[in-house]
Amino acid sequence: MRGNMSYCVNCGVELSSSAKECPLCNTPVINPRDLAVGKGEPPFPREKGQVETVKRKDLGLLVSAVVLATAVTCGLLNVLVFNTTAWSLAVIGVCVILWVMLVPVVIYTRQSVYVSILFDGVAIAIYLYMLAYMVHNDSWFWGLGLPIVLLIVALAEIFTICVRRLPKSFLTIALYVFTAIGIGCVGLEILIDLYVLGSIAILWSAVVMTVCVIVDITIITVLSRRRLRNAVRRRLHF
Amino acid sequence: MAAAEKRLIKEKTERRDWYKLDLSAIVYPTLQRRDFSSVYRLSVVLKEEIQPRVLQKAVDMAMPRFPTYKAAIRKGLFWRYLEPNNRPGPFVQTDVKNPCQPMHFKANNRYLIRFYYYRNRISLEAHHSLGDGTGGMCVLLTVTAVYLRLLGHTEVENDGFVLDIEEIPHKEELEDAYMRYANAKVCPPRLGEKAYRVRGTKEPFYTLNIIAGIMSTSQVLSVAKRYHATITEYLNAVLLYALMMKQEEDWHFRLRPVKIAMPVNLRRFFPSKTLRNFITMIYPGVDPRLGEYTFEEIVEEVHNYMRLYVNEKHLRGDITTNAATQRNPLIRVVPLFIKDFVVRQFYTKVQDKNSSAGLTNMGALKVPESMKPYIERCDIYMGQPFSTRTNCAIISYEDTLTINFASSIIEADVERNFFRKLVQDGIHVKIESNREMTAE
Repeated sequence: MRGNMSYCVNCGVELSSSAKECPLCNTPVINPRDLAVGKGEPPFPREKGQVETVKRKDLGLLVSAVVLATAVTCGLLNVLVFNTTAWSLAVIGVCVILWVMLVPVVIYTRQSVYVSILFDGVAIAIYLYMLAYMVHNDSWFWGLGLPIVLLIVALAEIFTICVRRLPKSFLTIALYVFTAIGIGCVGLEILIDLYVLGSIAILWSAVVMTVCVIVDITIITVLSRRRLRNAVRRRLHF
Repeated sequence: MAAAEKRLIKEKTERRDWYKLDLSAIVYPTLQRRDFSSVYRLSVVLKEEIQPRVLQKAVDMAMPRFPTYKAAIRKGLFWRYLEPNNRPGPFVQTDVKNPCQPMHFKANNRYLIRFYYYRNRISLEAHHSLGDGTGGMCVLLTVTAVYLRLLGHTEVENDGFVLDIEEIPHKEELEDAYMRYANAKVCPPRLGEKAYRVRGTKEPFYTLNIIAGIMSTSQVLSVAKRYHATITEYLNAVLLYALMMKQEEDWHFRLRPVKIAMPVNLRRFFPSKTLRNFITMIYPGVDPRLGEYTFEEIVEEVHNYMRLYVNEKHLRGDITTNAATQRNPLIRVVPLFIKDFVVRQFYTKVQDKNSSAGLTNMGALKVPESMKPYIERCDIYMGQPFSTRTNCAIISYEDTLTINFASSIIEADVERNFFRKLVQDGIHVKIESNREMTAE
């Protein structure tokens, strides 16, 4: 029964032997004598293609080489010429941070954005610890530096999740940004207070938070009104 | 012998190492988005299964004959340009369900051309900045001829679209023919009005819905004759009719004119062998605000429009107007990124809103007599539309006329109206599609 010609009962067009439905009007193809329709070879392949990715190998190589060269030459300069302090560690640390940040852009483009943010945070934390180690005083690192890095990384991750997973528009992004700024400022002041005074006394960040909350409420109202408007539009023919 | 060798050496030293983009090609790269490229596809269906290795060999042999297709696009300070590309490739690949995918300029070894095979079909996809359908068809058929010869069909000769791969490319094949003919004494103004726009639900990223209608050329011709029109005019009218029906059926705030953007092959009017772009757009249409049109009236409207505008004089005026902007010294010194921005704005705000759908008719394919026994049919796809609408491309080979619709929206209303009208007019239509609709 391979040679059967199926026609769409609605459109009157002949269909290919592999068609289960009419592509024009979605009407199923049913032949009461031969229920095994849609067995023929399809006229188009079934596999979907992927868009070729741009290879930025050259740029990646260049960036890595420049960063590495800077780090190595500074290290040598420190060891051989200006060898009173370990100043080159600061430069090398910056190089490492730069490289880690550029990895997702030029070298391994498929790296997940969450992992990238985490790595950036880790790189900065290590750098700060290195600075603390250089000045032989790491109390500020544990009390202030590391908590601030953790706070910012956590906020960045949550912000990214919101942008990627939740409905995205200009207004929602503004909402996330203002919320992040508000929470970030309050967290920052709490951390500073805890380190400097030993107790929490929120002052300036309360003002920032108030402004952010006002902006957020405005945005939420507009968003909800838009939804309302959408619902009306849907009912009025769309 | 010595003279020929000398000429060869001279030609080689004269061989250019870069090419300016032609007048149309300037626009296409500016429209490039992450999810959009102006890519078109041509395919030829043979009678036997394709052998990929032989096809790759044929591609490797034929591509050096087409320096403007074996090229990469690069940015200058003021304009983009084409540069010969000697990287390995282009490589033959198995075909995919979603053709005409975006083509990033730096991917794929910087080639702006792709070759695919599926069962007995060879397909070529090219970025529009390299050339138009005629140029692309030359590349595809030359590759096909070389492929057939490699399979032992040595009688396949060079003629029409099949070029001699031993030959050195003619200067005329690489020219920007617009500049040669853009010499009218006046620049007629561009008329434009916002046309009806098809509204539809966008498909997810990288989906291209294809609906192909296959029919008999002679049958379509006899129906067209019944309406006193040519095939192009008749099919144009059917598409206008389908769009008009869609506009009436859908909810609309107010009616808008229904217009079709149709490229005209200028080689028919201005002799040139160029393999690059040499087309201009015309906009046949009807205005339903004037009253209800019967189908016969639409055919007549299109027929008269074509008689008035598709002639050497009007087309010359049109290309002069287009060239005037590019020739303006004030525009020429503006940096590329500003030009890109302005062109993109103009295209999305004005040009794209000027028409409701695209339609192109490549006409009857000219193939050397000795190649005919191996070819079943040909297909042409206009590629992904810039906005939510559908593009229609027509080509005929012997007695097979293929009409291919390509769209990136879920709804197939225009296509349905179009093919139903053909069936109503007594044409036998066979539909093929890559759509997979699951029963809900």
